Amino acid sequence: MQQILSIKNLSKQYGKVKALDNVSFNVPKGCVYGILGPNGSGKTTTLGIILDILKANTGSFSWFETNPDNYKRKIGSLLETPNFYHYLSAVNNLKITQAISKRGNEDDIHEVLNIVNLAHRKNSKFSTYSLGMKQRLAIAAALLGNPDVLVLDEPTNGLDPVGIAEIRELIKKLAAQGKTIIMASHLLDEVEKVCTHVAILKKGNLLVNGNVNEVFAHEDIVELNAADKQALLNVLNNLSGYTKLVEEQHAVQLFYPQGTAELDTINKYCFDNGVTLNLLTYKKKSLEAKFFELTNNN
Amino acid sequence: MLELIKIEWLKIKRYPAFWWMFGIVALTYPGINLFIGIIYDRQLVRTENKKDALAQIAKMLFGNPFEFPEAWHTTAYFSSFFISIPSILVIMLISNEYSYKTHRQNIIDGWSRNQFITAKMMDIIIVSLVTTIIYALVALSLGIYFDDGHLGRWAEQLQYIALFFVQSFAQLSIAFLLGFLIKKAFIALGVFLFYSIIVENILVSYLKWKVKTGAYKFLPFEMSDELVPVPAFAGSFGKDMKDAYNAAINAIPTQLIYTAIFTALIWLLCYRLQAKKDL
Repeated sequence: MQQILSIKNLSKQYGKVKALDNVSFNVPKGCVYGILGPNGSGKTTTLGIILDILKANTGSFSWFETNPDNYKRKIGSLLETPNFYHYLSAVNNLKITQAISKRGNEDDIHEVLNIVNLAHRKNSKFSTYSLGMKQRLAIAAALLGNPDVLVLDEPTNGLDPVGIAEIRELIKKLAAQGKTIIMASHLLDEVEKVCTHVAILKKGNLLVNGNVNEVFAHEDIVELNAADKQALLNVLNNLSGYTKLVEEQHAVQLFYPQGTAELDTINKYCFDNGVTLNLLTYKKKSLEAKFFELTNNN
Repeated sequence: MLELIKIEWLKIKRYPAFWWMFGIVALTYPGINLFIGIIYDRQLVRTENKKDALAQIAKMLFGNPFEFPEAWHTTAYFSSFFISIPSILVIMLISNEYSYKTHRQNIIDGWSRNQFITAKMMDIIIVSLVTTIIYALVALSLGIYFDDGHLGRWAEQLQYIALFFVQSFAQLSIAFLLGFLIKKAFIALGVFLFYSIIVENILVSYLKWKVKTGAYKFLPFEMSDELVPVPAFAGSFGKDMKDAYNAAINAIPTQLIYTAIFTALIWLLCYRLQAKKDL
């Protein structure tokens, strides 16, 4: 499969702070690649380097495998904040974007403004926009000319809940059209909802990367309880198949390798052994728990 | 190149400060030159002293500095005092890019880092051309207005149009460099005005009159100020002044070379920094 972006051993130092430490990963064509991490983990630094506005201390990256000279013109990008001329209207700002990037034409400008619901304010100056409108304009600029690759840094920043949902739908729709989307976010459920691949950064280190399902769902978790918890524990000690048992305050958790937990078997086993369950649920491990596990243990 | 100019024009044409600068220059240049011209004229020529022998002699000696062909030189000299007006615009044009973070966005959208600097250089050229055109129109108008039979000599000192352009471009390049390095408009402007109006004038006087060395000709602004020396009438007051005037005129080609080298170094520095730094 073609690699849209390939990053090798990138490191970036700001004085004594290591913003990125030897980070490598590949972005295959057609995926939605989430770069996830808490604030200050190096997400924007990574995107800044691959878009040529920051210089890496060591390491390299290549776009489209061949690294063509005009690679930036094939990528619609939104980095960190919406950057526009305050005294110009949305349309006039996008004319500059269009002229520099050579993506799209005049008609496309009106089309992308429609997509992000800014058409009614397209002739207002950028300085009069709300934060959410500025963000929408930045997304419109990235979409201009329908590029095959999008780089979006915190695309839902500053948007209201409806706007967030709209942008997520838009990203899913674009992904369905076969576009490659590289997206940085500190919002876990955003990544969970739209990404196919993920790289998790913490303090400039790449903790893990790969397919979302592989990274986040190694285990099935079954939560169960009974009136007599001690009896339940005794019975479960003799149950086979699970890898780990965790006793919680109001429940017991059993960890199974992915796809092997069978609730009816567990229920029957307990009942046959004289324990009546009052709680039995199947729980895919939450992204948040996994995320904290990943970022805290390192 | 033309493409870069078109894009910069998209940024500039709706920028109010550009039109303010245009308007203020279009008022200041004719204003100051006309003012000086009228004073000179009234004092020496067209007053009731017309039959005064002294006034007649003065007129014979000096002529009117705004008559052709001196008009080109004189107008360039007085207009160049007001380089701070377009320099405000030049500093705004680069500091805006920083404050809007469009200096990053332009690169993200597809320009190379070099193209960004080239585009900015085009801005400075456009501003220099606008001020030069205004200056040339003023000189032309005053030359016609104050004419006393020298219209036929209008084409004799046209080199001052080119020299005025070079001087403007060189000095606005310094303004750009300050804005490029300092990023904040107010600070860059403060440094520019404080240095160009106060510090360098003190330095020039000190080196010229106290230390009596020619080193003042290498100061950043004086270097290109010498491209348009004090006009001819200043050379009319005695032999020493005449010699100084002739020396200044003869030094123009050398100063042109110094200015070209210095300005080239400024832009080279901008390209080098832009290529290496984090934006």
